[in-house]
Amino acid sequence: MITEKIALVVFIIGILCLAGAGFIAFFDYYYRKRSLKRMYDMIKAAMDGTFQAHNFDESLYAAVENKLAEYIDAAETTAGKTAKEKEQIETLIADISHQTKTPLSNILLYTELLKERAGSEENRENIELLENQAEKLNFLIQSLIKMSRLETGILVLNPRKSSVAELLEEAERQYRNKAREKGLYLHVLSEDARDVTACFDKKWTLEALGNLIDNAIKYTQAGGVTVRVRPYGLFVCIEVADTGSGIAEEEHARIFGRFYRSPQVSDQTGVGIGLYLAREILQQQSGYMKLTSETGKGAVFSMYLPV
Amino acid sequence: MTILSTSNLKKIYGAGENKVHALDGVDLKVAKGEFVAVVGTSGSGKSTLLHMLGGLDRPTAGTVTVDGKDIFALKDEELTIFRRRKIGFVFQNYNLVPVLNVYENILLPIQLDGNEPDGKYVEQIIDMLGLSSKLQNLPNNLSGGQQQRVAIARALAAKPAIILADEPTGNLDSKTSQDVLSLLKVSSQRFAQTIVMITHNEEIAQLADRIIRIEDGKIIGNGGGKNEGSK
Repeated sequence: MITEKIALVVFIIGILCLAGAGFIAFFDYYYRKRSLKRMYDMIKAAMDGTFQAHNFDESLYAAVENKLAEYIDAAETTAGKTAKEKEQIETLIADISHQTKTPLSNILLYTELLKERAGSEENRENIELLENQAEKLNFLIQSLIKMSRLETGILVLNPRKSSVAELLEEAERQYRNKAREKGLYLHVLSEDARDVTACFDKKWTLEALGNLIDNAIKYTQAGGVTVRVRPYGLFVCIEVADTGSGIAEEEHARIFGRFYRSPQVSDQTGVGIGLYLAREILQQQSGYMKLTSETGKGAVFSMYLPV
Repeated sequence: MTILSTSNLKKIYGAGENKVHALDGVDLKVAKGEFVAVVGTSGSGKSTLLHMLGGLDRPTAGTVTVDGKDIFALKDEELTIFRRRKIGFVFQNYNLVPVLNVYENILLPIQLDGNEPDGKYVEQIIDMLGLSSKLQNLPNNLSGGQQQRVAIARALAAKPAIILADEPTGNLDSKTSQDVLSLLKVSSQRFAQTIVMITHNEEIAQLADRIIRIEDGKIIGNGGGKNEGSK
């Protein structure tokens, strides 16, 4: 009788223990899951920029929340600093571009006046050298300003659906004489582009295309430059092909870098910024540039513009 | 910053006299944001290399490090998850899920991971790849070029550390190929996405920042390097 009772009690205690263990395990699982969920929500809120610390008690959770708030605060301070630095660069660029304009154009103007009454042959030569250098400096400063405006995002391009033929015709007008003076042909096949449109910023894309044509003329000694259009489904390709000395494959990647000049052309004038600028302009409007060339076989620079 | 590197990577098939060195000591480094093309004829080992880089096959010797992690030190299950989170694949035959529509296909890898997709980012990708009007279509109602664009969107959406593309235009005509490659190029620029693309076509490879040539399981040309001006 008694043993039976003891057995029953032990049995009941056993069941209770099991139930207790089960309950604790369940609670622990639930609690851990809830903690992780709270952490996940916290980090997600931080990423969305909506995070705020709510708990200010002695719990570990409140401490974690507090640390995260501190971290976000520090990150925001850094971001603020970066914005301020960018603003300073903007001001500097604006200052340089504004303040150098007048003295430079004065130098160019007075050089021209000097040239008119140069007198001796020797003086004339010196003045011409002076003029060349002043023009080069002017070009370099203008290019540098354009480049840093693009790079720092001060300048934002406005791509719009526009006619590709018009772009080509304008480029041809600008470079027709330069090619003729050098005895080269400039074939711009704008007829093929009659109904082709693409999404681009007219002024800056013209600058990029101009740089490509200018380079092609500069580095071609005989033959000439052909500009043609190839429309694809989502992109339009404008190709500038020359009959110059071509570019070795090792240089393909480097040639788009800033201030890079191929050893083959180091005796020519130029600063090595045109291609870099052109590529930046293309990238800013979700397009890209490509080069196909082999030494001795001319070069083809292709601009891809989104439709 | 190097995001992908291999060191003395070897893969040997068969044994004894039938031994084939598919990869014979490949050392490779790819910087973050770089667009690299691996060129070689069929049988040169380029596909084997891509399978190793993506953790789809284990090497005989050597290591592959992705985002600072030696991927073959991981257990199989860990490797599967690592691959899902860090590596995007674009294959020649698209590999889309036929019963899911375009939008579901794009979000699949993110949802497999139990995460909520970054809506704005995904929208940007869809817009850039010109898929906005096709989201409700099933893959077999799309052209090859469109299917490949969906595959690219799917690879980009999960923000992987690298995208591995295996002959991405192998099944497309030349005009459509140009569009797909252009989109790949623009994505790499716009999202600073690292891409390693395998191709046998020299012309296609020209698009990359750097061309790596592989022959008989060895790297023979490693042109240029990352151009200084690019970002």
